[in-house]
Amino acid sequence: MNNESDYPVIYTEALTRTYKIGSNQVAALRGIDLSIYRGEFVALMGASGSGKSTLLHLLGCLDNPTSGKYLLENQDVSTLSAGQLANLRNQHIGFVFQSFNLLPQMTALNNVALPLQYRQQANDSKARAMEVLKRVGLAERIHHLPNELSGGECQRVAIARALVVDPGILLADEPTGNLDSHTGIEIMQLLVELSEEGRSIFMVTHDWQLVRFAHRCLFMRDGQFVQSLNAYPGAHCTRRQYERN
Amino acid sequence: MSVINLFHTAIQGVSGNKLRAVLTMLGVVIGVASVITMLSLGNGARAAVEATFRHLGSDHVMISAKQIYENGEYIPVGSTLTYLDGLLLPVRVEQVKKVDLSLRAHARLRYGRVALEMNISGVTAGYIENLLSQAKVVPLGWDDNHPIEPSAYLAWGRSFTATEVLEGAKVCVLGIRTAQDLFAWENPIGAKIRVGRWSCQVIGVLKELESIDTEGQFTSNPNEALFLPISTLIQMHYEDEPSVSITAYVRDETQMEAAKQEIAAFLRQRHGIQPNIDGQFNDDFTLVTRKDVLGSQQEAARTFSLLLATMATVSLIVGGIGIMNVMLVSVTERTREIGVRMAVGARPRDIVAQFLFEAVLISSLGGLLGIVLGALSIPMAARLNQGIALLDPGSLPLSLGVGMLTGVIFGLYPAVRAARLNSIEALRYE
Repeated sequence: MNNESDYPVIYTEALTRTYKIGSNQVAALRGIDLSIYRGEFVALMGASGSGKSTLLHLLGCLDNPTSGKYLLENQDVSTLSAGQLANLRNQHIGFVFQSFNLLPQMTALNNVALPLQYRQQANDSKARAMEVLKRVGLAERIHHLPNELSGGECQRVAIARALVVDPGILLADEPTGNLDSHTGIEIMQLLVELSEEGRSIFMVTHDWQLVRFAHRCLFMRDGQFVQSLNAYPGAHCTRRQYERN
Repeated sequence: MSVINLFHTAIQGVSGNKLRAVLTMLGVVIGVASVITMLSLGNGARAAVEATFRHLGSDHVMISAKQIYENGEYIPVGSTLTYLDGLLLPVRVEQVKKVDLSLRAHARLRYGRVALEMNISGVTAGYIENLLSQAKVVPLGWDDNHPIEPSAYLAWGRSFTATEVLEGAKVCVLGIRTAQDLFAWENPIGAKIRVGRWSCQVIGVLKELESIDTEGQFTSNPNEALFLPISTLIQMHYEDEPSVSITAYVRDETQMEAAKQEIAAFLRQRHGIQPNIDGQFNDDFTLVTRKDVLGSQQEAARTFSLLLATMATVSLIVGGIGIMNVMLVSVTERTREIGVRMAVGARPRDIVAQFLFEAVLISSLGGLLGIVLGALSIPMAARLNQGIALLDPGSLPLSLGVGMLTGVIFGLYPAVRAARLNSIEALRYE
């Protein structure tokens, strides 16, 4: 997956993000260098306040970095306007949230079709939404409202919504945090399948059980990467491996 | 985002809390209803003006004795406006071509065994030919677009002549209802009837007439009438000289103001009215032209419209603030939704469009309800404004537009605020 002609889907160089709280400058990220390639499944671990979410938001173009360079699909995004960032999100990035973030008044189908509404060109959004819902195994539940679905089903709808624009990157923020472990593993298997289809997946998690699904696991503390583990063919990233280092 | 999607989203947003939406609409409903009523009043006044334009001759100066209202009755001021004043006007005032005089009285009529109590009129010969402008009546079934021949009012016989008027001949012309009441199937022409204590010969009967008076001032039946030469009525009925109503016909319609001045000067001289120390005349007569009538009518309509315009503006502002308030609450409640929409690629202007569309939807629905309410309240407004209010079809899109504009103006701030939300914080909002 890492050959010469292939540029990283995500490439950051010395990325920093500083917040101003009152008169204090708080550095949430202190120089992040990161490359994620096509089809790569990367997990990010770290304690609360280590900067995981900030990094996720920067990579998701929800926020602009204070300094540093961020190339998304080889395009420099650090100088783009809010509208241009929105278009980038719409085309390249799918978000999967811990609390699903489905719109409660819309059916599963309409929730999934939502990102297509913000596309410039008209297309058959319902048909496309149906297709992705089938892909995540929810063809039977398309006309249900979120509160009529189970947690696992809601997360599948959310993943379908992320997939509907056929993005290169999925950003997942504790995607199994609100699910029981059995359902969580089903969702992880779905994410693994998606990475095998060639999508890059960047997942923030607390759960060591999930790390084993990733190709690579990064550890953050105080706004910096402190360790990186690679999975070997036939082996996973594990807690023991992390503690050994 | 396409318009259809925006529309769906807005309907979803509004129907999420129907009661709130309806309450929010009320201000716009009242505002738009006021706009409709206001415009229909203006329109009604204009229509009434047009009607008056057609029938009140533009060359007429109506002269009457000034009266003041005191202790429940009208009391004349100064000298009476006499029959002779009227007769002398065309002789002495260059601008006056001719005059018609009229005088109303109450009398008992009798023919054989039949007796009637009714109002009678003493008039000059020209009055009956000019019934249209004098009394706003036309022969029944008259085609609005045709001029009325002077003879068109007479069914049988003739009207009296100028000579008969000057001589005080004892002749009369009857309204058709009065003729029927007195004579049943007998031929009235040539018959003698008693008018009070005097005997009077019937020389003519009018056709069946109908009133075209839009203002409803002339409420008595135009077919119950008896017309005598005015001099005859004065002789028969009065010991003192009564005040008559004079219609002066001016030679040159473009010189109405000058003619009024001349008439006033003549009458002041006749009545011995001197200017007071301020150079003002305390006249004992009033002069009214068509222009004066229209002016006062338009004035009344304008005052009422102004009142409604104020009310409309206030309700629209209050309604707009209501919309703004509700939209701000809605934005806060839906912070998370906004965050999600931003995350999946909504640009700031998509968010603005969404909330603006919702505000406009509320105000448009309010506008539609306001149109219904406004149309229903027109009869009521008409009663308050002397019966003049006419729905102007053009006012419907205009007032709906005003309602929608309210939505745009007051929905803009909440919508912009929604679009400026920080997407990360919005996503975390509980």
